[in-house]
Amino acid sequence: MSLARSSLFNVARAARSMGVHAPVLVRGFASTAVRAQAEPVQKQPMIKEFKIYRWDPENPSQKPTLQSYKIDLNQCGPMVLDALIKVKNEVDSTLTFRRSCREGICGSCAMNIDGVNTLACLCRIDRNTSKDSKIYPLPHMYIVKDLVPDLTQFYKQYKSIEPWLKNDNPPEKGEYLQSPEDRKKLDGMYECILCACCSTSCPSYWWNQDEYLGPATLMQAYRWMADSRDSYKKQRGEKLQNDLSMYRCHTIFNCARTCPKGLNPAMAIAKIKLELATE
Amino acid sequence: MQVRSAATEAPHSPASYKYVPGGPIYRGTVNDPTPFPPPSKTHGSYHWAFERLLSGALVPITGAAFVTTGSQYPLIDALLGVSLVIHSHIGFESIRIDYIHSRKFPILGPITKWAIRGLSAGAVYGVFMFNTNDIGLCELIARVWHA
Repeated sequence: MSLARSSLFNVARAARSMGVHAPVLVRGFASTAVRAQAEPVQKQPMIKEFKIYRWDPENPSQKPTLQSYKIDLNQCGPMVLDALIKVKNEVDSTLTFRRSCREGICGSCAMNIDGVNTLACLCRIDRNTSKDSKIYPLPHMYIVKDLVPDLTQFYKQYKSIEPWLKNDNPPEKGEYLQSPEDRKKLDGMYECILCACCSTSCPSYWWNQDEYLGPATLMQAYRWMADSRDSYKKQRGEKLQNDLSMYRCHTIFNCARTCPKGLNPAMAIAKIKLELATE
Repeated sequence: MQVRSAATEAPHSPASYKYVPGGPIYRGTVNDPTPFPPPSKTHGSYHWAFERLLSGALVPITGAAFVTTGSQYPLIDALLGVSLVIHSHIGFESIRIDYIHSRKFPILGPITKWAIRGLSAGAVYGVFMFNTNDIGLCELIARVWHA
């Protein structure tokens, strides 16, 4: 160590005596030669088994299977999405799933992990290695491949509620104004990222997906009904006046329980029902 | 390319949309919003409000039947009999719409619909006969309770 340090001093002294304005190299203690030679702590490998739903549209006659992957959790990030990415990068590049932001903002990686619909990026890996982790796509959806569900119907339904501001009398100049109290009514609804976790956890949506709008879409319907700047509240409510679009909700609360963002679609649907009944 | 879209026709006419079990359920192109059935408050908010009011009303009616003796107040007997049957009819009808809706089961759907109606009507008639010719609903429950 003394040898290394004295040679460092010599270099610095030589540079100064030569009149060259070289930056004095000061090494932090952490990066000294001895520190660099320290043995890294050898962690025991922590092998966890993941069973992942696989279905390949190239072989449609082959039935979907659960494929097993073993991952060392000490060489992997903490979230299920990290494990999936590790599998795709290092084990099996044919594994297909949607992901984008890895922080619960985009809603791409919604899937069924150990029986609960959630975002893979917000779901911690269970560190109990004696139990395997089962990963399925969102339940009761048409599957494009592996963990990728077809969300076309979900988006078509979202479009049907006209999720944009509708007002025939825009303000003379400037923007729509809203009191802080009115703005507060949108809290708990505008945060929805349309990951479809709630809708695909709803038994009513499983059985009547073609007609029942599902919790996610209905909460967005109420998000626009509750907006003080929107003047089409009555028409928006009128659309839901039939036995299938909304009244298939039986207040099961699977939606509120599964929402990875902690929102409560069942509450929004209950509010629509109350407003339609009392208007 | 002109894609002939089912949604450009009358969206809820049976000709434009046939339910295929296990098949895709899209109507129109992927960019068309899903259509809504024609609005009907009878099937919507009125139905819901009636259902909830009836459920709420059943609480005091049951309570009243519990404290009075049925044979002295036949009106409560009748009220309880009818409202209970309507309540259960709405419940069964809701189950039917959930699982065997006519759009998916064109034969079984209507059959169960009329079966439920027939059974409910029969139940109302049965309760009426029991109340007028026999001891009545409340008295029966009281006796079974004490038996």
